[in-house]
Amino acid sequence: MRRYPRWPIHLALLAASFIMLVPFYWVLKTSVSGENIFSYPPNIIPRDPNPFYYVDVWYAIPFARFFLNSVVVSTMTVVANVVLNAMAGYSLTQNFFGKNMVMMLFLSCMMIPFQATIIPAYLITGKLGLLDSYLGLALPMFSTIICIFVFKASFDAVPRSLIDAARIDGLSEWRIIWKIMMPLAKGAIATNVILAFIWSWNNFMWPLISTRSIDMQTLPLGLARFLSYQEDTTGALYAFCIMVLAPSLLLFLLAQKEFVQGLTSGATKG
Amino acid sequence: MCKERRQGLWVPAFAGTTRGGIPIGGPFMVMAISETAAKRRPNFMGRKSTRKAILIWSFIAPSLLIFLLYRILPLAWNVLLSFEAWSPLKPAVFIGFDNYQEMFFDDEVFWQALWNTLLIIGSAPIGIMIALGLALLVNADIKGRDIYRTMIFLSYPLMTVAVAIIWRWMFDERVGLINYVARGLHLVDKPIPFLNSFAWALPSVIAANIWQMLGFYMIIILTGLQNIPGNLYEAAAIDGAKALHRFMRITLPLLRPSIFLCFVIGMLNSVTSFDLVYVMTAGGPGRATEILVTYIYKLGFTQTRFDYAAAVTVVFFLLLLAVTWTANRLSGGDAGAVERG
Repeated sequence: MRRYPRWPIHLALLAASFIMLVPFYWVLKTSVSGENIFSYPPNIIPRDPNPFYYVDVWYAIPFARFFLNSVVVSTMTVVANVVLNAMAGYSLTQNFFGKNMVMMLFLSCMMIPFQATIIPAYLITGKLGLLDSYLGLALPMFSTIICIFVFKASFDAVPRSLIDAARIDGLSEWRIIWKIMMPLAKGAIATNVILAFIWSWNNFMWPLISTRSIDMQTLPLGLARFLSYQEDTTGALYAFCIMVLAPSLLLFLLAQKEFVQGLTSGATKG
Repeated sequence: MCKERRQGLWVPAFAGTTRGGIPIGGPFMVMAISETAAKRRPNFMGRKSTRKAILIWSFIAPSLLIFLLYRILPLAWNVLLSFEAWSPLKPAVFIGFDNYQEMFFDDEVFWQALWNTLLIIGSAPIGIMIALGLALLVNADIKGRDIYRTMIFLSYPLMTVAVAIIWRWMFDERVGLINYVARGLHLVDKPIPFLNSFAWALPSVIAANIWQMLGFYMIIILTGLQNIPGNLYEAAAIDGAKALHRFMRITLPLLRPSIFLCFVIGMLNSVTSFDLVYVMTAGGPGRATEILVTYIYKLGFTQTRFDYAAAVTVVFFLLLLAVTWTANRLSGGDAGAVERG
């Protein structure tokens, strides 16, 4: 069906991609250029590129501390997510008393956005004594319903006969999970790792509410704080932006397939 | 003959239900037992099924606990708190609908925030329409379409705080790129202070939000497009249907669930995009970009009015439910039930 010309499509898509990418370029350019920010007209290509603003960021704020906090919280979230969601997903593939109730509960929890729970969530975390701690930061995100359903779909796809064969060979339920189900659910694990990492890495509202000391703040908070006591017009702010964006951008480009798969399977089958 | 039948039926009884060769019960009972035994073996051996039930429940318990603790309990607590006068270190007093009365009759900020939230919900279709166009384009059989998809999708997984800072920079009055371009093309005489003007602030925030969500909408619609069976188009082409006709009669109706799904997720994401608003404008200038989520945050955590904030949260939640429910009904029941984080 090669009847219509292709160039209008390319033209439209190039324009769209241009609009999507220009803001990145502009920020990157600002972060490396040494020119006066107020010069008019602005240069398209950075004149005299240098990494000074990046060094500025390093000295202006405890970047290493924020980075460490973000890494610790994200790691906790990712590990907990994979373990808890895999377990919950596995049990949803089995028949047990009360399964329908649990399914209903999960589906209705999906309709409650986290932003509609902040005040009690803050009070609950306070009662648990977890405010301003790593566990308190990560706990509300320990399990994600979409990912539970991704795991369930992946476990459902394991052929029944394979499990029966393993059972006849005398494998216990635990060994069946570890030796047969988990290796076959690698795709689901990858999806969950990426989604949980990105959600937790980018999370802003919960750390804003649940942390008090600067020592416990994560990168998004550091970025917002940096904005509040620096002018918009210093390149260092944009250098900070690039430093914060780089890890998730890199991870996304490396594991784009799993990421998109997770979103669409969560969205269309969930 | 009767004896033969009996013997025939005894066999499964011997094999399945007895130990030491002694059959239990009459033939029909044996039949029934062996049938159920084949269907639900775990139940037949009582001890093992209990152990398995315990295993399954202990598997699901941690996740369940998290959701009870951070979704269900907060919901209930919000409702309870909204009928009380309470602040930390004070005993709670039941005050009925006083909080709601104040909200509906004495609080202009609430109405402003509600209106802004509704405007943001109303703006979701703009992004979805653009995304629909892009999805049709990247679904075409062209070279490099994966690269286009990646470039358009790239903004979605990024940290919203950084996106907000990027767009502050783009919209800046003195040095923002948008003002440079507008001035360069002589569209405006003097720079527009986008984020500091009452008229432009909310549209600017909405534009930044659409920019971030566009790739996500596109991917969802693209998945929907790829699920449409190709032979429908072939059949329509043979019947002589024009391209526009095929789009209106095949593509759009079959995309309906995807589009409504986009709307529900996009709506949830936009009205809860606390970080974008908080960093771009902090609700200002004045209350021009205040949305319900930022208002709840300010009430709770800068004014320490947890009780009143809870009442606003209840209204916010009911609004989301109502919009989702309506979208669900319109879509034929497939959308909904999903959010991002």
